[in-house]
Amino acid sequence: MLQKKICLVGAFSVGKTSLVKRFVESMFSDKYLTTVGVKVDKKVLSVEGNEIKLMIWDLEGEDDYCKINNSYLRGAAGYILVVDGMRPQTLVTALAIHESSQALLGQIPAIVAMNKADLRDSWLVSEADLQATEAILPVLYTSAKSGDNVEVLFGNLALSMLKAK
Amino acid sequence: MKPEMSVIDAFYAELQYAVFSVLCEGESQVFTCLVTPPAWLQQFAPAITLGETGNPADDLPYLDNFLVDAAVFWQSQAVGKFASGPWVERDAEGGEWPLEAIALNVQGERLLQIKHLGDDFNRQRRQLQTARENLLTQEQLELEVLSRTRQIKLREAEIALRLVTAASFRDEETGSHIRRIGLYAAEMGRALGWSQARIEDITLAAPMHDLGKIGISDKILLKPDKLTPGEFEIMKRHAEIGAEMLGDSGISMLDCAAEIAGCHHEKWNGEGYPRGLKGLDIPEAARIVAITDVYDALSHKRVYKKSFSEQETFDLMDEMAGEHLDPNLYQVFLSIIEKIRVIRARNPD
Repeated sequence: MLQKKICLVGAFSVGKTSLVKRFVESMFSDKYLTTVGVKVDKKVLSVEGNEIKLMIWDLEGEDDYCKINNSYLRGAAGYILVVDGMRPQTLVTALAIHESSQALLGQIPAIVAMNKADLRDSWLVSEADLQATEAILPVLYTSAKSGDNVEVLFGNLALSMLKAK
Repeated sequence: MKPEMSVIDAFYAELQYAVFSVLCEGESQVFTCLVTPPAWLQQFAPAITLGETGNPADDLPYLDNFLVDAAVFWQSQAVGKFASGPWVERDAEGGEWPLEAIALNVQGERLLQIKHLGDDFNRQRRQLQTARENLLTQEQLELEVLSRTRQIKLREAEIALRLVTAASFRDEETGSHIRRIGLYAAEMGRALGWSQARIEDITLAAPMHDLGKIGISDKILLKPDKLTPGEFEIMKRHAEIGAEMLGDSGISMLDCAAEIAGCHHEKWNGEGYPRGLKGLDIPEAARIVAITDVYDALSHKRVYKKSFSEQETFDLMDEMAGEHLDPNLYQVFLSIIEKIRVIRARNPD
């Protein structure tokens, strides 16, 4: 069976762990529990007739004091940049991580998860910024709370990784 | 087994450590477990037993990544330790196990220690959780301030627009001219590296440059013929009237508007009005609006004149640069002419 490592990256409290929990366990909790270091999960997906085992690395979010440890990204075949639509700065953080990840890993598949789509009425990320992001990266509007687009998110990344191999 | 080993073994078991000796054979590493593996490790890596060789990374994928860096550390033979940082393994029941791996060089021996962080991890997480919750609160407050500031700016813009609209009922200036002046001035501010706040101010303030005409009687303001010298003196008063109307508010946008209204007829050579200011004594915003106002007036048709071609406009403005207009700012204006043309095309009369 194919095995691929993927990483979830982004600012703190954008919902990386919640997306993984929704995807792996079909569960969601409103309570914010910060991630320390790395959490590794696994899930087998079937993509266009191929079985693929995803090794999902949920990395501690970036904040003023903590930047991503680049060694965590080593060997990743793709990554998900998670953004909280209600916090414009988290898009800036995600795009900065994308830039440094590209420098480290080259052009591997990446997807932006504009998360908390269930609260879209309260989003503060501007339409112009969203359009500019869509021009450079695939973007999916996800909600770990409702489950919207979560399967699609991981499925699309897996498909991109299969095509890229 | 020596009795001393049993004591060490018991010590390791109590500390929740697993310890391996590491033998590097070319690219690969052979791990031998030196202690009875603690129970938590056995649920992830059941094949690991005391004295047996095996690679713990086969069952703990995070380790696979760490061992790349650890190999470099072991080969360096540096004394001390190299830690992986914490990671969390999940067991079959969904339970979370915070672990950390440490590479050690001890008296020529290469060792790998894997430990369960237990309460230390929970303490660290609680501290981090508190710090991040505080950061979130701070972020939310900043966003709230930003949102309120935006609302105030929108109100300022609405009030400015209505003021200018009211004034435009009395003379021939078109709404498009007023809008263009603000947009041209904003582009100039951008080209000069102004702050966003200052650019927003001049965008709203520049269109108010002739607001003082409200204070000029219809007989003079709307006179179709050439003004007599006396009437022109009265007409010139619109600059001071505008500055007075808009001044002393303590609002940065209106302060900028007052400066522009009061000084947009000053000339670089000091022969303008109302105060005969010269060169850099004329506020920069007013020198910008003087350029954009002249450009827009020349290049558009008015009831009293035809429109000039762009070339004719520049020929006239070239002559005015250094006399009427700030020659340096005029060069900046020429350098952004493509942007100016786009604004002009999008905002026709």
